[in-house]
Amino acid sequence: MHAENRKTTEALNMDVLLAALPKESATDPTGRQLAQLINRIANQKVPVNSFSRIWTLGSLQARVTAGYLAYWLRSRFADADKRQQLKSAAHLAAALKLFGTMGYLRGAVMKIGQLLANLPEVVPEEFAEVLSALHFEAPPMHFAMVREVFLDEFGREPEEVFAAFDRQAFAAASLGQVHRARLHSGEEVAVKIQYPGIARTIKADLRNLRLLLQPLCLTIDWQDTLAKLADIERMLLMETDYSQEARFGKLARSAFTAADQVVVPQIYDEYSTARVLTAEYLPGCHINDFLATDPGQGERDHFTHLLTVATYRLYYRLHWLPADPHPGNFIFMADGRLGLIDFGCTLTLSDEEWIFSNVAIQAALDRDLPGLNRAIARACRFDDPDDMEPDRLEVIRSGFYWFMEPWQQEGVFDFGDRNFFLRGIDNVIEATRKGYTRSLPMTIWSNRFTFGGRAFCYKLKGRCEFRKIFLQESAGWQ
Amino acid sequence: MRISEQAKQESRARILEKAAELFTGKGFEATTTRDIALAAGLAAGTMFNYFPSKETLAMTMVTEAFRNGTTDFYRRRTGEEDLTEELFLFIASGLRRLRPLRPFLGPVLERSLSPFPRKNVCQEGEAARLNHLEAVQEIIGRHGFTTTPDYVAMTMYWSLYLGILAFWTNDASPNQEETRALIDYSLCVFVQVISGAGTDRGAAHAR
Repeated sequence: MHAENRKTTEALNMDVLLAALPKESATDPTGRQLAQLINRIANQKVPVNSFSRIWTLGSLQARVTAGYLAYWLRSRFADADKRQQLKSAAHLAAALKLFGTMGYLRGAVMKIGQLLANLPEVVPEEFAEVLSALHFEAPPMHFAMVREVFLDEFGREPEEVFAAFDRQAFAAASLGQVHRARLHSGEEVAVKIQYPGIARTIKADLRNLRLLLQPLCLTIDWQDTLAKLADIERMLLMETDYSQEARFGKLARSAFTAADQVVVPQIYDEYSTARVLTAEYLPGCHINDFLATDPGQGERDHFTHLLTVATYRLYYRLHWLPADPHPGNFIFMADGRLGLIDFGCTLTLSDEEWIFSNVAIQAALDRDLPGLNRAIARACRFDDPDDMEPDRLEVIRSGFYWFMEPWQQEGVFDFGDRNFFLRGIDNVIEATRKGYTRSLPMTIWSNRFTFGGRAFCYKLKGRCEFRKIFLQESAGWQ
Repeated sequence: MRISEQAKQESRARILEKAAELFTGKGFEATTTRDIALAAGLAAGTMFNYFPSKETLAMTMVTEAFRNGTTDFYRRRTGEEDLTEELFLFIASGLRRLRPLRPFLGPVLERSLSPFPRKNVCQEGEAARLNHLEAVQEIIGRHGFTTTPDYVAMTMYWSLYLGILAFWTNDASPNQEETRALIDYSLCVFVQVISGAGTDRGAAHAR
């Protein structure tokens, strides 16, 4: 009976995998080869199989994610000769296994899964962008561990530092976990605590990733991949410093007034260190719980408006790309305000990047085709548009046009329009399939910012007067 | 003239204090008993009445730290901890007390706590080991289970613990936080094994 059930589940998994995985028309039109490879690896025991904290390709979501990784790796060898392809197939299997057993990449993979789940369709994102979605999910900390962190950071136990402190975490954070507490002065706070030794793991995992990708070193875009990995490592390591996040949080808070209805929690410095971050607790719910209440169009539009104001306020005033559009970072508050939390993964554009970013936007707004082509060439790391294959230029430019659509439309823009959203995804798929992935490292974050935000608003089925908001927010700040 | 008990205690404390300073400053290996006696204002012969060797001296400090750590542990224990958490609290409380000695502890522990058979067993080291294991037994007993024979559980625990100590003495991360992750993972492994949870007796690998 049990065996039969398992068999049925396996068959079901295979069907779902086949439906979800990308297909390679030439060599694997049904996707069956890839699905079988993933399942074969998934069913292999790793030596630590009884150690539940280490991720294996156990869940279907993880298998789908691994499938996309495999697909991407394979696509890099499409033009290679037969021998090279065989070598790469062997490497692929090894790489997937390594990928599955890396330190905290369990969390990273789950994060990619989250990103995919955030999109209404499973999307084969370009690999570096998928990677940038990775977050290091630390193992849960028991209270004794939390107490040790407190003794080191404050010289006192949590119950001494706070008037009340919940032993159980109420949320997982990317690098640790969040506990509710109350200050002696009565304020309710959320205390984020980092799992020890995370920076070392990030470095080790990225070292493994470089190894894993080593067979690509002869391909034309290897330097580009290295530059992106370096940027990802830099951003992730920055995220391990909570005092940096506290500074971001305070700056962001100062950018909004009560009338904006956007709230960034207050940071309590005297209860914060590089490893512990104490912020005002914002009551409310995340997007899924919000949608479960079956909100009307007015409410959906209201929060879409607030989200747009919030992100473009940060962009124009602080020159930031809030590069972690994780749905958990937005709080729908009962009084209609939108809460923004977690500024760990925030990219501050350099002056050069800021100017460059706006030159591209302005060229598109002015319909200045030569100017836009120059900007695109630069973003793709070419000296001149004439150095690009015409098709590459065309594909990347149509992606940028898609990005600019809301900026150019007067009146209400509907981010819930399925056709609009899918066109954006189709463009990414096309660029990925054709291998047009060479770009400046900052594009990892700008793409993530754009796609994450639009996926969120799509899920929300929300509308807003985007152009009006952009004009308001950019006025005087460019 | 007989010296008073109080004077004896004072000399003993002074020797320990000066030895700790010298060990930290010059290192354990480079410090001689002569240096210590000199610093404490005693004749070398007199010092041997208190501590027969440099190892004994150092291990006395370690034992003292362990004892204080155990007291801290009993004070901090709330009774709500599960086994992994309680063992973590126990080890972490001990290490916190050992922390001032950390700069010179590597060679001391290597000599005094080595699990390999030796000609001269350091009595203080052996006592520290037994006390530590007794506390661990008590903790495990409170949670009421081991599926492994005691000697297996205790040998395994001690091996993990020595590994943790060795890593900790050399841990350059801030506040030795990487050691904390190591303790956490080590204890999860240990508790899984002695509780028989999730083990399949290696069947998964019998290919």
